[in-house]
Amino acid sequence: MESTVQQTSQTSSSKPHVVGVADLVVLKDPRAEIITHALGSCIGVTIFDPSTNVGGMLHFMLPDSKINSEKATDNPAMFADTGIPVLFKKAYELGAKKENLIVCAAGGAEVLSDGGHFKIGSRNRTVLRKIFWKNNVLLSADDTGGNNSRTLHLSLADGAVTVRNRGKGVPIWPI
Amino acid sequence: MADLTDFITNLESLPTLPSTSSRLVAMLGDRDVDLNEVSDIVRIDESLSLTVLKYANSAAYGSPGREFNLRESIIRLGNDMLLKIVLQQQMGRVVSRHCKAFEMSREAMWRSAIGGAVAAENLAKEHCPDDRDLCFIASLLRDVGKLVLDQKYGESYGESVANHLTKQTTYVDAERLAFDTDHAEVGAALCKHWQLPDRIVSAVRSHHEPPATGENHDTLIDVIHAADIISLWSGLGIGQDGLQYELAPHVKSSLSLSRRKAEREIASMWAAVRSIEETLGMNPGQNERSAA
Repeated sequence: MESTVQQTSQTSSSKPHVVGVADLVVLKDPRAEIITHALGSCIGVTIFDPSTNVGGMLHFMLPDSKINSEKATDNPAMFADTGIPVLFKKAYELGAKKENLIVCAAGGAEVLSDGGHFKIGSRNRTVLRKIFWKNNVLLSADDTGGNNSRTLHLSLADGAVTVRNRGKGVPIWPI
Repeated sequence: MADLTDFITNLESLPTLPSTSSRLVAMLGDRDVDLNEVSDIVRIDESLSLTVLKYANSAAYGSPGREFNLRESIIRLGNDMLLKIVLQQQMGRVVSRHCKAFEMSREAMWRSAIGGAVAAENLAKEHCPDDRDLCFIASLLRDVGKLVLDQKYGESYGESVANHLTKQTTYVDAERLAFDTDHAEVGAALCKHWQLPDRIVSAVRSHHEPPATGENHDTLIDVIHAADIISLWSGLGIGQDGLQYELAPHVKSSLSLSRRKAEREIASMWAAVRSIEETLGMNPGQNERSAA
């Protein structure tokens, strides 16, 4: 199956670029907007370099690609441990610098009362933090957990990140 | 709600299952069905014919260097696969517009239906292999009641439910407090109106509250329930109801659902959904939910 990874440089569009489930988009365009919908247990990660206006978003479903390495090769954006490195690599290719990156996350919700047995959302949150900790990346802001679906929006004009949760849009960066 | 039959039939624009589908669903349940007759019905529906040809000549079913005509395609695919194609296609037609009540785009509604159907079929292979197709169909239709509530209440639906949501209430409880019914019960009434088999009607009605024991217990319902939760975990078609549903403890144990198994199902389901979308010429990965 063809990878869903997109990489666009110097494009502009009035419509936001939609990131699907198990998908990622990286752009260099100060006019661009990137959005992902229906973040449940999945997590959306945004990165933005204000000095180059390079930004990207990943919507991963599961924490660990060991569950199915074939699918991870086919679509690295499905898993945190394969999707996050690709997100950063694509941003570096467009000129972003690690030390400039503003990183935010949203999602990682749980279904009600699973008794702590599955913790799909919680595992996603833990692995995300572990990967960032290992790679000296700090989360600038996050809105995770709970039982609600979220929509995550990134503006490449200024790096503003907004999370829509239960009908209300709340800016999480800058605060 | 006192009379769901009245509720369903009094809607101005009832989601309809086209007569082609109803006839094919009835015919394809019969193992001795006359394939010439099936072919004649499929032929009437141009879009369905094209989809059948696409599937039969796809990499999964086709033979290199050979192109199957419609009748050959129907034989190649077999009754069960054809039934699934018919219902998949019809769900695409029934889900014909943005669902304002649940803040879901048409694509998200369709993807949720097909994702749950694929997950149910996978679980059924292990737990009720003889009911695999019934599981696929029941799961495909499990949230059809959301479309009915959308037609009846539109945008006001979400606010009415939100007024009754607390930390102690499930989403289904809040629906009942607001409307004296819920989307599962309404969906079952619609399936009954479409004259679908009783087990499908029961599975749609109970997909959030599967009976744990007694004569009403049915592994098929357990499978549809688990598939619905797996679909939510995967993020396929989550609406404004979010993840506010409970996994029934007896289903977790009867289906031996572990975290690892759930994660494997999530990964397989997404790949299968994309494959179906590619075969049907849809645009995978887009429009999960319309911007609100």
